[in-house]
Amino acid sequence: MKSVEPAHAAPPAREKAPPVTAAEPARPARSVRRNRDWLHGLLMSTPAVAGLIAFVGIPFGYAVVLSFYNVRLGSPLAPTFFGLEQYRRLFTDPDLSGPFLRALLNNLTFAVVVVPVQTALALGLAILLNRKLKAIGVFRSLFFMPVVFPMALVAVIWRLILARSDQGMLNSALHTVSFGNWGAVDWLGDSATAMASIIVLSIWQGVGFQMVILLAGLQQIPGELYEAAELDRASRWQQFRHVTLPGIRGTLVFVAMLTSVLSFRVFDQVYVLIRGGGLDEDAARTVMYQAVTTAFDQNNVGQAAAITVVFFLIVVALTLIQRRVVRPDNED
Amino acid sequence: MSSTRKYRRTACTGLALVLPLAALAACGGGGGADASAEAGSGKGTISVWAHQGQKSEDAAVQAAVKSFNSSQRDIKVELKLIPGNDYTKTITATSASELPDVMEFDGPTMANFVYNKKLAPIDDYVSSKTMANATDASKSQGEIGGKHYGLGMYDSGLGIYGNKKLLDAAGVKYPTGLSDDWTAARFTAALKALKAKDSDGKTLDIQENNGLTTEWGTYGFAPVVWSAGGSLIKGDKAEGALDTPAVISALETVQSWKTYVDPNTDGNAFAKGRVALSWVGHWMYPTYSQALGDDLVVLPLPDFGNGPKTGQGSWAWGIGADSKNAKAAGAFMDYLLNDTNVTAMTTANGAPPATRTALAASPLYKQGGPLQLFADQLAKPCGDSDITKTCVAVTRPVTAGYPTITAKFGEALSSIYGGAEPKSALEKAARAIDQDFSDNAGYKIP
Repeated sequence: MKSVEPAHAAPPAREKAPPVTAAEPARPARSVRRNRDWLHGLLMSTPAVAGLIAFVGIPFGYAVVLSFYNVRLGSPLAPTFFGLEQYRRLFTDPDLSGPFLRALLNNLTFAVVVVPVQTALALGLAILLNRKLKAIGVFRSLFFMPVVFPMALVAVIWRLILARSDQGMLNSALHTVSFGNWGAVDWLGDSATAMASIIVLSIWQGVGFQMVILLAGLQQIPGELYEAAELDRASRWQQFRHVTLPGIRGTLVFVAMLTSVLSFRVFDQVYVLIRGGGLDEDAARTVMYQAVTTAFDQNNVGQAAAITVVFFLIVVALTLIQRRVVRPDNED
Repeated sequence: MSSTRKYRRTACTGLALVLPLAALAACGGGGGADASAEAGSGKGTISVWAHQGQKSEDAAVQAAVKSFNSSQRDIKVELKLIPGNDYTKTITATSASELPDVMEFDGPTMANFVYNKKLAPIDDYVSSKTMANATDASKSQGEIGGKHYGLGMYDSGLGIYGNKKLLDAAGVKYPTGLSDDWTAARFTAALKALKAKDSDGKTLDIQENNGLTTEWGTYGFAPVVWSAGGSLIKGDKAEGALDTPAVISALETVQSWKTYVDPNTDGNAFAKGRVALSWVGHWMYPTYSQALGDDLVVLPLPDFGNGPKTGQGSWAWGIGADSKNAKAAGAFMDYLLNDTNVTAMTTANGAPPATRTALAASPLYKQGGPLQLFADQLAKPCGDSDITKTCVAVTRPVTAGYPTITAKFGEALSSIYGGAEPKSALEKAARAIDQDFSDNAGYKIP
């Protein structure tokens, strides 16, 4: 199956069109056009590139600079040059590198679990909701609803669900279902289940978004393909394997990429639950959480900058690897 | 067309380049001018910032400003209320020249504002009568290097609220005041006895729903450290103060209480009678007394060996370092700290008044009043470093490094409560605090 790439169709169409302004008809039209294309391309991308430079490039460069200094928020002392000290502490000082490496590990665990599980779940939901049922719109909105809630709100609600002892809704439900044989589990406070709890609530909140994208992908698959498959006596599973999956391959790859990028940003739910939910801080600390608390609770901007620089490089590396492994254009 | 775009792009890039540099300049620099306000004429308009708290507190501040403005013609006060959650961040992010003439601040943040020259000493501007009328506890919270930078209208205190009915039913003997305070072991025994009579075995509330990595963790549980003879920091060093064997064993005891603690997800554990004991501050009194009536008893925190201790300190008022009208600012502070306004404010929030006259007249905190214990505790202030066996109310460390101290202590407390080994958690926190102090040249106030 070849995926359709509408983007490529545009330039040839333009080439056929007559030159918009025939200012210098003496010159060969082709080179003028090429010049213009170059100029237009640059002009069109200017806002995006400027935004990228202003909001990603410069802050990142600035973070690199800050990470070499001992900079404090609201300190009368002038920033002093620290060299690689912040990085040395992050990787070799056991007190600082312990939490940092743990945060990195937590982030990776989160991504490794959330990306496949959430994508698969979103696909399942999308297939489930891609039917011609009465009031299907209602079901779709129901599943999409958690996406609309702010994460802070979701975290507060889940705090009630996951609360320890028998006050938690989950614990009391399990207690009832197991006829009182279920001991009250401290979901958030236990290091064994803290990250799992965060993962479950994050998937619950985010799955609707991926589902909607996949739903759109599913609806792009022409119905005739299924009819043809049915005539060939393809089973349900075979239809899914050979019609549905190839049909949404590009969408699926996009969703997986998006999920992995989003999953590195996990912060809100950890921040909200640690302050009030009794979440195990070590087991649930993520790199973003550590960077924010280092900068704004401890006023240690230099250290926070070093954390973000390391994290940025790791995420970029992972994204590049991922792009190599699952390239949308790849044929299977 | 293209020139305006180009112009915009240049402007955009320029702005993006300049903003972080400006931030850096705001982070560092600052030195030079001495942090002392200009006295001014004592007339004219002054600006005042206060935190927006409970509705009743806001109304009390607004009423005080209104009556001050109508009481005389020379000075006009313009009040700005800023939401409490963002208040400290707002001051941190505002340069000294844009800060108001009079501002409120949370007690433990004061040293940081003095450190970065945002507060001026008030001794020359507030009348000696006002200064003399402030309680010792309030004065020690506001003092750095012999100068006063802030005075509060009210103070704060910690205690344990008990449900008399439940305590009696379990046959638990509890202290009647500071003099016969219970030891940590007796407190643990009480929890055990209460547990036997409790349906879910949870008999204690420690406001877990506030989170222990927050300021509540430090405010609520630093008294355990002090009562064990330790300290959050001693002479700019946490090592050897925060991680002494006595502190470690005290926090092991706190850790062992977790099985008795109600997670208090709904914030109603004590008021609804689910638990018999609540480890919290004065501010729960209105709610609790309404829920329990005569069954409510107020007890001191348990003694871990060095006598009972409590936290102390709350919002206070000071004068902006760049004020051009400090004389007028001082006059306003005098007015704010008079009996009428302090009484109105403490009636609004139930806090112990921070002035001698208002405290003596307070129906809640006077001798024989229901919250006399809190007044008794505050009458024995330790300051922030002279923590003896006999003093009770300890001020949180008055140092610009406080943000790191509270963050690291809260982190250690939370992990100990979650099951980590107290020794390694406390040693780690102490090392991190010491590292931070050495990175910042001891946070010496220049």
